[in-house]
Amino acid sequence: MSNTIDNALNWCFKKSVWVYHVNAGGCNGCDIEILDALTPYYDVERFGIKLVHTPRHADALLVAGPVTRQVRERVLRIYEATPDPKLVVGVGSCAMGGGIWHNSYATLGGLGNVLPVAIYIPGCPPRPEAILYGVAQALGLVPQQVKKQEYLEVT
Amino acid sequence: MFRHTISELKEALVCLKAGQVTLHYPFEPSLVEDTFRGRPVLNTRKCMCCGACANACPARLITLTDSDGIRALHFELGRCTYCGNCRDVCPQEAIEMSMQFETSTANPEDLVIHAEFYLQTCRDCGAVVGTQREVDVVREKLSNSPVHTNYAGYFDLCITCRRKQAIHAPSLTLEVVP
Repeated sequence: MSNTIDNALNWCFKKSVWVYHVNAGGCNGCDIEILDALTPYYDVERFGIKLVHTPRHADALLVAGPVTRQVRERVLRIYEATPDPKLVVGVGSCAMGGGIWHNSYATLGGLGNVLPVAIYIPGCPPRPEAILYGVAQALGLVPQQVKKQEYLEVT
Repeated sequence: MFRHTISELKEALVCLKAGQVTLHYPFEPSLVEDTFRGRPVLNTRKCMCCGACANACPARLITLTDSDGIRALHFELGRCTYCGNCRDVCPQEAIEMSMQFETSTANPEDLVIHAEFYLQTCRDCGAVVGTQREVDVVREKLSNSPVHTNYAGYFDLCITCRRKQAIHAPSLTLEVVP
């Protein structure tokens, strides 16, 4: 998976990344935070990131929400319509593992079950800063901060 | 025409006065409030693996599994909604909501907390009583009370065996009043 990011890096620096925003059955919370990230206060356009109106112009997909059964076909069609090379960013806890709908019959339990995801941004919803950080991490500007916490009792 | 130019100049002056609005964010730390709830962190020294958090979690991302004398506490924080219920119910105050929100990762396994604790089994029937730490905590809390001396033998018994022993205990036998 880190290989995907490395490949993404190579072409991301050559030109600006244009993103297409997909709501795959989310509650709109993540969508509002994505909108916040586009405002002049947070300003993702500093990194050359711009929202476009059709997946055919996009380099990356910002997908929010647990993928519902109804929306799965549409998400796949959007993914196929996006020209290669493409990057999929999962925004929100729902995209990561289904969120609080992880075991619902109506969802497919996260974006990872449907599309190959380059980076996940957890949060419910993630702060605009978190989205910025995730995007900057995908571009290789900042390091990853989290790692697995493990504890085994030895007495 | 001239009027327009003047108004545009005024706007330009306002913009100059306002200065830079945009955060310099990914290259400088972001300020968060003290009450902010970020990624939960488990203090494994305090935790006694009682499972109160697993009961309270609305996303059901905290699971307890028993196997081979070990109870595993597993957090899948990728699904976390940062509600803070686990912190609120924890009797040991072992869970803390950190200030960290930059949790983006390519691998959901990075957002896992896994802790394993030894189980205490019943000395009579071998059923699970709880974790050894749980028993230790109860023993410590009761160490100053008179109950401790009377019921010291009950700590490593399961609930069924405890009932069986208590019913035959001499202090509990009832006097039949004629």
